[in-house]
Amino acid sequence: MKRYLYDGTPEGLVSAIAGILDAEKDPQLATLVERQDTLFEEGLFLRTDPAAADSLFSRLRQCAPDAVHTLWYFMMSEAEELETSLLHYVALALEHGDRINGHLTHPDVKAIVSVARKAGRELHRMKGLLRFEQLRDGTYLARMEPDHNVIQPLAKHFSRRLRAQQWFIYDVRRHSAAHWDGSALQFGTLEQFSRPELSDEEREVQVMWKAFFRTIAIPERRNPRLQKSNMPAKYWKYLTEKQGE
Amino acid sequence: MEIHEKLDILSGAARYDASCASSGCGREGSAIRVGNTSQGGICHSWSDDGRCISLLKLLLSNDCRYDCAYCVNRSSNPVPRASFTAREVVDLTMDFYRRNYIEGLFLSSAVMQGPDQTMEEMVRVVEMLRIEEKFGGYIHLKVIPGSSPELVRRAGLAADRISVNIELPSSESLHRLAPQKRKESILEPMKLIGTEIGTSLVERTLSRKAPKFAPAGQSTQMIIGASPETDLQILRLSQGLYRRMNLKRVYYSAFVPVNEDNRLPVLASPPLLREHRLYQADWLLRFYGFSAEEILSDAAPDLDESFDPKTAWALRHPEFFPVEVNRADYATLLRVPGIGVASAKRIIAARRFSLITPEGMKKIGVVMKRAKYFITCSGRPFEKPDREPSRLRQRLLLGDGSEPVQPRQLVLFA
Repeated sequence: MKRYLYDGTPEGLVSAIAGILDAEKDPQLATLVERQDTLFEEGLFLRTDPAAADSLFSRLRQCAPDAVHTLWYFMMSEAEELETSLLHYVALALEHGDRINGHLTHPDVKAIVSVARKAGRELHRMKGLLRFEQLRDGTYLARMEPDHNVIQPLAKHFSRRLRAQQWFIYDVRRHSAAHWDGSALQFGTLEQFSRPELSDEEREVQVMWKAFFRTIAIPERRNPRLQKSNMPAKYWKYLTEKQGE
Repeated sequence: MEIHEKLDILSGAARYDASCASSGCGREGSAIRVGNTSQGGICHSWSDDGRCISLLKLLLSNDCRYDCAYCVNRSSNPVPRASFTAREVVDLTMDFYRRNYIEGLFLSSAVMQGPDQTMEEMVRVVEMLRIEEKFGGYIHLKVIPGSSPELVRRAGLAADRISVNIELPSSESLHRLAPQKRKESILEPMKLIGTEIGTSLVERTLSRKAPKFAPAGQSTQMIIGASPETDLQILRLSQGLYRRMNLKRVYYSAFVPVNEDNRLPVLASPPLLREHRLYQADWLLRFYGFSAEEILSDAAPDLDESFDPKTAWALRHPEFFPVEVNRADYATLLRVPGIGVASAKRIIAARRFSLITPEGMKKIGVVMKRAKYFITCSGRPFEKPDREPSRLRQRLLLGDGSEPVQPRQLVLFA
């Protein structure tokens, strides 16, 4: 059982997996963990090699495009301590192709696929729950604190949907931001952030939306538990309709 | 009247329409359009009754000429009346869409001066959205029974989904409770829509430029519990609509007593459990290969309240079980209580790698507390074979095999 270490970055992870697949006859016997920088840590440290990561991606894209998808979603989850499972999953994907996602009785496949599925679910959820607010200068701002790092695919979704307006999406937890200027999408980080003033029109529209939200519920069918299970309270912080209730 | 007041009246009046789906149609955004649609649909919020909000659901007007017994907007009810202008609906839709509150618009209306005049105004709203605002989001438009074929065609060309409400499960009930609506005026536009959708699909195989007609299909809605039909009659009707009219969805709406009328039954609360069971049975019709006659019979024409319809079927058919999960085909797996469409597919996929063990069944996501009575894994049963139906019923009820006695989504007046 050979033990490998990497630097803890997403690129480092993929490049380490590429390295192990190259070196090991049976990667199922190897383990991979993040380096802790303690003295005498056991294992072979693999330096990040972007070219190796790229070539692994393109190999995988050729023989298992669905697995590349799974890998993307897995990365969004920022899951810890699943590196070895991921290594085994990628090795199996190269061997079996896309069929591998059906091998749910395999513990490593199951672990990776369920983490990826959870990330995918939250991405889908945020497509609905994100709320844009119009600022004084006419641009729109949406704030969020998702569990998974979904800002890239989320911003892409809105760059197709809300392309006629300028907007920002800000991930409060990760201090990352996406900006659409009407023609191109940019990503960056913001260490300091305070929400600018809302426009007068925004206040009016918010009042209307809250009124709609209130009246569309059938009083005889009131069911707060069902509401909460469909829309967990952790998302309410930035939901316009849940403010001032 | 102020727009706020109108919104209060006209969204409050639209809330009894059950349909909220925004699925069934994927349209890419383009440089000149605002918005797109997503194949799987997107929910944007959940209201206090736990139902999803995907579309801005509005009536154009609640000022109705008709006097249907079950409807809150019937002409003899002393409720405040209001009507939106087309511009008001268009602006609300765009303002909400830009903030990502909604997937699009669901527009229905009371019958104002007449079916054609009402339909004409509704179509005008949708055409304004599509042409002036270049709106590419989702639009669901109700068709007013009795409106002219020309208006139905315009509606289908502008909207993603159009629907005619069948309202009640039989023409006798329709005659009794909604005397101004006729069965023919509902079925004729339904047929027309079905034909137009079919034609458009054929034309689009010949030319990609051919116009799309209601690309997300046609749906309908009926009220459950306001009239005496059995569940079997209702399911037969739905089955006919799916098979012959090619409908995408039939919605069931538990009757909410909003009027006092001696033609209506007196109910303490809306029949939500019955509505829930009908939806489960509807799923069996559409995705599980069941027919209405398998789910219910003339001898037992109503759905069991304590068991979901698939478990009820399984209890009546002990000869079908146990099912061997490592060999059974997809259609057979689907008939096992606790195995749904997703887990049946996963079982088939996982079998290609290795035999499935009891542990594997859990990993796949099978609801074992129900399934364990009906399956074997490589010949081994999970439970001591016990095919005596009454005892099995008991165990499923006690052993948490069915849903909780008070199903979560049905808690009333909490």
